[in-house]
Amino acid sequence: MVETVKLTIDGHHITVPKGTLVIEAARQVGVMVPHFCYHPKLKPDANCRMCLVEIEKMPKLQTACSTPAAEGMVVRTATTVVNEAHKSVLEFILANHPLDCPVCDQGGRCDLQDFSHEYTPTTSRFIEVKRVFPKEYFSPLIETQMNRCVQCLRCVRYCDEVMDVKALAPSGRGTMTEIKHFTHHELDCEFCGGCVQICPVGAITSRLSMYEFRPWMLKRADTVCTYCGDGCQITIQTKENQLIEVMSAQGAGRNNGDLCARGFFGYHVSTHPDRLQHPLIRRNGELVQATWEDALEWVAETAIRLKLAHGPNAFGGLIGARCTNEDLYLFQKFMRLVVGTNNIDSSARYGQINGVRALRRVQGTSRWTVTFDDIVSAEALLLVGTNVTETNPITGLKVKEAVKKRQATLLTIEALEPAVGTISNIANLAAHHFSVQPDGFKPAVLGLIKAVVEENLVSQPLAQKAPGYVQAVSEAVRRLSWQAIERATGSSSQSFIDATRSFTRTARAVILVGQGVLRAPDGSGLTATLLDLLLLTGHHGLPGCGVAPLAEENNDQGAVEMGAALEYLPGPSDANDQAARARLAQAWKEELPKGPGKSLMEMIEGARTGSLKAMFIVGENPAGSLPPSAGTMEALQSLDLLVCQELFLTETARLAHVVLPACSYAEKDGTFTNTEGHVQSVRHAIELIGESRPDWEILSALSVLMGYPLEYGDAKEIFKEIRSLIPGYGLLGPAPTPPRPDQAVVESYLKTGYSSGLAERYTLGERRAASGERKDFSLTLLVTQTLFHSGKFSTRAKGLLQVQAEGAFSLNPADGTRLGLAEGDRVRVSNDLGEMTTTVKLQDRVPVGLALFPEHFDQEARRLLRVSTDPATQVPYYKSASVKVEKAK
Amino acid sequence: MTMAKPKYELILLKNMLQPGYTGSLADYERAGGYQALRKILGKVAPAEVTAMVTKSGLRGRGGAGFPAGIKWGFLPKDYQGPKYLCCNADESEPGTFKDRQLMERDPHQVLEGIAIACYAIGAETAYIYIRGEFVLGAKILEKAIAEARAAGYLGKNVLGAGVTIDVWVHRGAGAYICGEETALLESLEGKRGLPRVKPPFPATAGLYGKPTVINNVETLANLPHIITRGPEWFASIGSPPKSTGMRIFCVSGHVKRPGNYEVPMGITCRDLIFEHAGGMRSDKPLKAIIPGGASASFFTPEHLDVKLDFESVAQAGSMLGSGGVTVMEEGTSMVWAALRLMEFFHHESCGKCSPCREGSSWLVQTLRRIVNKRGRMQDLETLTDLCQNIAGRTVCAFGDAEVAPILSTLKYWRHEYEELIRTAEANGSSELLMPAAARH
Amino acid sequence: MMKTFNAWLKTIIFYEILIGMKATLGHLLRYKPITLQYPHEKRTLPDSYRGMLALLRYDDGTEKCVGCDLCEAACPSRVIKVISAEVPGEPTKRYSKEYYMDMTRCLFCGLCVDACPVDALGMTREYEWAVYDKRQLRLNKQQLLAIGDRSFPVREKRLELQHPNVAFFNVAFRQMPPKEG
Repeated sequence: MVETVKLTIDGHHITVPKGTLVIEAARQVGVMVPHFCYHPKLKPDANCRMCLVEIEKMPKLQTACSTPAAEGMVVRTATTVVNEAHKSVLEFILANHPLDCPVCDQGGRCDLQDFSHEYTPTTSRFIEVKRVFPKEYFSPLIETQMNRCVQCLRCVRYCDEVMDVKALAPSGRGTMTEIKHFTHHELDCEFCGGCVQICPVGAITSRLSMYEFRPWMLKRADTVCTYCGDGCQITIQTKENQLIEVMSAQGAGRNNGDLCARGFFGYHVSTHPDRLQHPLIRRNGELVQATWEDALEWVAETAIRLKLAHGPNAFGGLIGARCTNEDLYLFQKFMRLVVGTNNIDSSARYGQINGVRALRRVQGTSRWTVTFDDIVSAEALLLVGTNVTETNPITGLKVKEAVKKRQATLLTIEALEPAVGTISNIANLAAHHFSVQPDGFKPAVLGLIKAVVEENLVSQPLAQKAPGYVQAVSEAVRRLSWQAIERATGSSSQSFIDATRSFTRTARAVILVGQGVLRAPDGSGLTATLLDLLLLTGHHGLPGCGVAPLAEENNDQGAVEMGAALEYLPGPSDANDQAARARLAQAWKEELPKGPGKSLMEMIEGARTGSLKAMFIVGENPAGSLPPSAGTMEALQSLDLLVCQELFLTETARLAHVVLPACSYAEKDGTFTNTEGHVQSVRHAIELIGESRPDWEILSALSVLMGYPLEYGDAKEIFKEIRSLIPGYGLLGPAPTPPRPDQAVVESYLKTGYSSGLAERYTLGERRAASGERKDFSLTLLVTQTLFHSGKFSTRAKGLLQVQAEGAFSLNPADGTRLGLAEGDRVRVSNDLGEMTTTVKLQDRVPVGLALFPEHFDQEARRLLRVSTDPATQVPYYKSASVKVEKAK
Repeated sequence: MTMAKPKYELILLKNMLQPGYTGSLADYERAGGYQALRKILGKVAPAEVTAMVTKSGLRGRGGAGFPAGIKWGFLPKDYQGPKYLCCNADESEPGTFKDRQLMERDPHQVLEGIAIACYAIGAETAYIYIRGEFVLGAKILEKAIAEARAAGYLGKNVLGAGVTIDVWVHRGAGAYICGEETALLESLEGKRGLPRVKPPFPATAGLYGKPTVINNVETLANLPHIITRGPEWFASIGSPPKSTGMRIFCVSGHVKRPGNYEVPMGITCRDLIFEHAGGMRSDKPLKAIIPGGASASFFTPEHLDVKLDFESVAQAGSMLGSGGVTVMEEGTSMVWAALRLMEFFHHESCGKCSPCREGSSWLVQTLRRIVNKRGRMQDLETLTDLCQNIAGRTVCAFGDAEVAPILSTLKYWRHEYEELIRTAEANGSSELLMPAAARH
Repeated sequence: MMKTFNAWLKTIIFYEILIGMKATLGHLLRYKPITLQYPHEKRTLPDSYRGMLALLRYDDGTEKCVGCDLCEAACPSRVIKVISAEVPGEPTKRYSKEYYMDMTRCLFCGLCVDACPVDALGMTREYEWAVYDKRQLRLNKQQLLAIGDRSFPVREKRLELQHPNVAFFNVAFRQMPPKEG
């Protein structure tokens, strides 16, 4: 029960929880107290002195933003004294303000403008010389104009308290205080745009939209960001069909108004000049412009011919998980009904499917049993294989909030060293950090489980309920020696014991599983092992506890739930679940195709061997994602029909017989399902570019031409069908209600389910080396995701390219010294597969022996990689290789 | 430093005035030093020490004059965990130079006071936040701490009583605002020295968020004497019951013998200036007195008989503050004096709160214009208005301090302002000379 | 009797018609034309005549317009379209890259002139803007500046700015109220 206090504000009586600030209480009764420095996300600083109010029994005026409400308090916000105070504070703030509103981008939505219209006389008594700061170049994306600054320090506090980046600081004293960054070169930070959003005046503005608009000209559309699985709500602001800027209102969506660089500055992809605007058909070896009618008729004709000649299983379908649920749903329905094959896969195959499989196996759910709110209120957080700040920045903010504001214990297992850098490093906040090599996640997790078992921290109820399971797991970990674990992880047994102790004594624990685990061999097994950890500590099934695999692409989760995978039907239900098949057949009024279906890698193999004749690829680029050693190019080239629905002419689209222009998220309606399973509406912000069409519309048209019409009026109709078939797609509420673990599945897992693959899961085993991989090179190259890009999609966003336009080879300085390399050196990186030339970047956070390269610019780096496929889940792994590095001539 | 022959029994300055006294540990011990610490350590309960200090009526010598014992009593009673004592040696108030002498000439007296305070509040760590410019003082203190630690007066297991008292010297970086206790804590934590929003007060969440007591050097230096000679003795000195003990006044300005004078609380300004400091420098009559450092309001000759204790000075419309008495003779331009002080405050305004940040530059520019004979009559009203708008609307007391000189000079010497402005008007130079682009 | 006679007299001399034609008859005899023979003759315009709009320059030939879009916002009939941008080579300085006025829609209310914070817009005394093709009435920035150049030969002085960062436009020329109290 929350303690409450009663107080009176301007005659309104209100009861608020104890500790509520007067300004917040006032807002609740509809009284607006003017303020600059107060922000609900930040700790009160009370520096602008704008929110002075009269409180009975207090001699002086008090700042409403820093005074907590007390029992019986009587607050007055509109007395003569208070108004005089507001007026005088504004007079001070305006004294040195340049009043260049006509050329200021904030003009029209500026707090200072609004308040001065409300409180001050139009002429100031200030007749002295105004203070001026010389203009300094700040950064390519963020512009500062310090003369306009009111020194509320919101940007500085946001950068520190929320983002944990600390890129900005006030410098100078008194009137000469200005907000600066620390270094002599231009601003180098996470570019989350938080300072731009939070600035109450025009002191910090975005250069991307500078002078392009006035606030009243903008049309707004609330939609969902398309970059990572966090599913942040963004408001795209447009002017005359031009994308002007992106913002996210305080309290909006799952991100609560916080964004990352990708969300805030990466919006120009949709209007990139390279966007495909017309269908293209290959004629005499060249892709030439065609009309929609010609293109679709040709596709339908060829497809029908091939289907008659080779049967439906000569077809394959691949869809990108950046598409909406409607596109994904219709695509799998198209493949299953119109074409009649189970050869369906999506980019969720690269990793998300691992997580879903493990969750389904152990607890019978296909999504998280926790939400972002549970992360924030968790007492212990374990992050495995995820540099969460760079892959899922907003989930990262939730972790930061839990650790910084609520003192949660953070445990991290990551191929990352705790070191201060220009980008915040989640390992810096960790109470217990295990820095491992990319193949060391499993030993580290096993180390934790061993500590649980050996320190007798196994939950008693579990030991009574499932003695066999506990026995089996205990024996499995006891067989592992601490020496072996220490050798594999580089951390002492004591550190595992300490970490486990602080993890087990908490009531709410969440484990976040990242791409380091999910996109690696046996990712599904390790995720199941993490669920074992939660089961053993007794957290599993408790409210606010769970294992949460992080989705990399924005609709990875949706792709699985829509059944865009060979092993899942919409739901997701297993493809050979007879009840689900019958239910679906009834809804679709058609029998579902039988047969196992082919996964991504199998389809490519099939294309190479000639068993696959045709492929429909929607928004996915296997030729550009998989390394050349996988032979994707050759395989796709040998197809009789390759249809691509794409925004740009990608590597794959260049091989296609027909390229159909699809439209981006900014132009279509639909829904995305984020990593926590929250279904959110996507709304179009601009009109369709050129002749592009939403993917579902193209598929629908094709289905008509192919003689099996799947006709829908709009995306809503498809969603209606989805809603009738798939649980969790009912009401689109403000927050998701996570599913509870299915007790029947958990019990069956504890009884017998655990045993399959147990021995394999509980061995330290060397990482499965790709066939022929040689270990005699000096460094392990790991292709990773960085904060400023998401896949290859964002490499066409002009804003993000200004921050990061090319890949660099990041090394630990110690390795740099060992190899005689300095920052900025050109190096030749090679192994038996190929070589590349790139630039060296020395970073303390990269562990010794490892070299990171961003996957977004891996056109060259891909040549060094080999693909190995997980036999169980068919997940391809191609992220690391051992390489030799030498200085380029 | 010129010292007059002591008229009263000196307490704080007694040792250092002995011929040949070097301030070393040996000298201090010979003069009866560290006896107070021996007397209480492990023998008297910390709460009793606090009670003794409360009983003595010792009030803070830094400026605000808050009773020391009561301040200690604000610490949470059942708190388990580190507590801190901070010795505020950031003596930056213009016209104040007592702490410097105490630290440089008799450092062990301060250290013993710190040790006693640490024991009383249960702090194991004390920080001396010394003003950055006091290089010599910092060196002397470092040396004294080393001596005391070697002799077992500081460090682990002090005097075998199982008490840990570690003292560290931290040099500031030269900001006046760091004398404000919360800004001092911020600076000590390695952050930008900006005052914190109160509440929470340092007593509950101070240094690193832990309960912290901040005392002035002079306050702490008084402690050994209170312990040795008893609170009743201390309470009988000065003008009991509210202002007890001796007080060091730093007399500066147009007097014959500027310097530090330790006198009982409650002597009159006249006594201090004319008897102790030797009267006015030249034969010109006295025009103005600042009774308690730059942030106190001016006094006129009418106030010569005001008793120098906390209550009387406050009643007369000023404050005793840090005890820096600045004397000005007839012929001093009070507008110029106000400008001079205002320039100091403008330079030292930390920039946190809008009224103080913008107001100080505004006030300085306006005053400068008046002094340069370019003022206008309306300016006086603007000045008063601005001062009233700054005072009481800032996070710390700096806002109130910076307007005191202007408000008091405007109150007592308004005619001087008017005279300057009339000259300006006569010359026609009250027209604005600013570039018009600056006038919005 | 007399009444009847008067009524009869008025009837036979068509008195009402004479009254009605009083002005006509008066002018018939005393010829003094009141119609202006436009375009040979032109009327004297009132001092505050609101004619064709124009963009103005400072005495050194630089454009006054800072591209603030306020005229566009003030215009009731959406005549104006401003495309503003950063001055190439001068960081954070704003100007109107393109400026269009669709004079077919203008109602010469002068609100844009009032709204302009830098007095970059003026109303000339030009009104002879009959054209054969109404597309010619969509004026661009060069045309508007040319109108300003010919209608306002005396240009305002560009004030030396206190500092290039304070304000990028000349506020000082506004007729500001005196700075009392």
